[in-house]
Amino acid sequence: MNPNIEAKAPRKRTQWWFLLHSWLAMPIWLFLFFVCLTGTIATVSQEIIWLFDSSVRANPPADAGKMLSFDEVIEVIERDAPGAYVEKITRPVKSQFALTAEISYPDSTSENVFINPYTGEIQGRAASGFNFRQFVRAIHGWLLIPFNTGFTRYSLGWYMVSILGIPLLLSLITGLVVYKKFWRGFLQPRLRFNRGARVFWGDFHRLAGIWSIPFIFIISVTSIWFLIQGLLFEAGVPFNGVSQAPVYVARDEIPTSEQGRPPLLSADQAIAQVNALYDNVEAQVLHLPSTAFGHYRILGRSQAFPLVHESFLVNPYSGAIDEAMRVTDQPGLMLTRLSMRALHTGDFVGLTLKLVYFLFGVLLTMMVFSGMRIWTTRTFKSTKAAIRQKTARANLAGDPT
Amino acid sequence: MSTSVAMQKNHKTHSRWFRWRFHLSGLLILIPVVLTPFYIELMSLFGGANGLGERVVGTQQVGPWTITLAEQFERGPKLDGPAGYMKTFNGALCQECAEQVKAVYMRLGKPRSLRTAGVIGFGSPYHMTFSMPVPENSASDADLWLTLEGWDGALHHAQWSLAEASPATVQFLQQLQEK
Repeated sequence: MNPNIEAKAPRKRTQWWFLLHSWLAMPIWLFLFFVCLTGTIATVSQEIIWLFDSSVRANPPADAGKMLSFDEVIEVIERDAPGAYVEKITRPVKSQFALTAEISYPDSTSENVFINPYTGEIQGRAASGFNFRQFVRAIHGWLLIPFNTGFTRYSLGWYMVSILGIPLLLSLITGLVVYKKFWRGFLQPRLRFNRGARVFWGDFHRLAGIWSIPFIFIISVTSIWFLIQGLLFEAGVPFNGVSQAPVYVARDEIPTSEQGRPPLLSADQAIAQVNALYDNVEAQVLHLPSTAFGHYRILGRSQAFPLVHESFLVNPYSGAIDEAMRVTDQPGLMLTRLSMRALHTGDFVGLTLKLVYFLFGVLLTMMVFSGMRIWTTRTFKSTKAAIRQKTARANLAGDPT
Repeated sequence: MSTSVAMQKNHKTHSRWFRWRFHLSGLLILIPVVLTPFYIELMSLFGGANGLGERVVGTQQVGPWTITLAEQFERGPKLDGPAGYMKTFNGALCQECAEQVKAVYMRLGKPRSLRTAGVIGFGSPYHMTFSMPVPENSASDADLWLTLEGWDGALHHAQWSLAEASPATVQFLQQLQEK
């Protein structure tokens, strides 16, 4: 009867979507802002250290030849500190960085040693344990709340942070619903500087929002996965492999020796064993055997599917490869876990992708801020108006006259 | 008149509360701020910067070798999901014997054979980590037994009373068993 009623109904629905969008992040905006900000810093934490500390840079000499092999790295350390025990050597994905070796000394202290990958010079040292990179990650990932405190096996902070993935994803969805014909924003970008703060932040929020659709989607979905991963872990669901049983060298395969430790395969020999049997493996991380029954553990990023590492366990006595985890051998849950983490951090291609992640991280952080600015100037009013309208309508409908 | 001033004042505080309550989630940022010194302390403990562990138990001569034992934390065992209660000790071999000792095992109570010698120490010989299960019915006057196995097959034992090795674990067991 009244043509206005039909026209008004969809507008009313959009209005409620809009209110939902506005209220999703508002009560938690400052916390969300903090998590986004620390996450953005965490993406480039290694690069920040690079800027401030020349010892972690690769610093190639003018006649940069081949990079040091793993055996040569171990020799450098043995020369520097005889008797020191090398636990792990990392060759960085990015050519800008020095090699890192984790060393344990006879006085029970340990250090990360940064080695020039071309000259073998020891460029710097840092006590293992506290470092800026891990610190930022720990703040961002679990607010420094310790793990396994008895209440939960993961850190309580892990859940407080990862649950933010839900409002983030919902904000993205509701945002796209209320932003009519948002694809027009790509063709006609609008960012008005001269119309006051409210207009500027509104334009910014929409413009940054549409350009960040894939990024916000990736970050929110991976965060929700982190929440699920924590809950699965609490429930005792295994992640590490099909069998869950760790692989050890059998006692009768280990030679006895009257002269102390029998000669082991060298690190380079172990890697050569892997390369002889498997194609396209570039060793990036080498763990030395952690017990007499342990293996060399060699990690390399998959060429075909760079989101995950492939790992190989090489028997240090016989050279046999006792476990090979290529992409296709990983159980689905493990593959999901590795891929989700890589997608969240953006550390699987190199510096370029990290900078892209950093840029979108900044945008997302500013979107949280701009959302709050818009809210304080507008949503408060429109919520009041909507409630008033609704009450008025209800009164009207309830009124028999 | 006085009532209207009071009402105005009331309105003011109400609106201030109304505005500020949406920034209250920022208080959560205090969590990492407060926890930072504890985190730094914990990391230096894991990294070995503070030595072998929170509390060094002592050093023993075991056959031709010496081993130093420390508690990772001066605390009772921790529940680790289905694995039950676990207590972490760290051990260090002397530099000369690091190449002679094939493995070090640890358990609560005397092992009957090498097969039951207990958990193996992981990692650098200068900072081995033992994650030892502590069954709830363990006797609080039990001994902590270390078995050192040489590359030549020789076996040597070291033992500490639990009261020496970890008073916190003794206290934990007594409290658990009183219940």
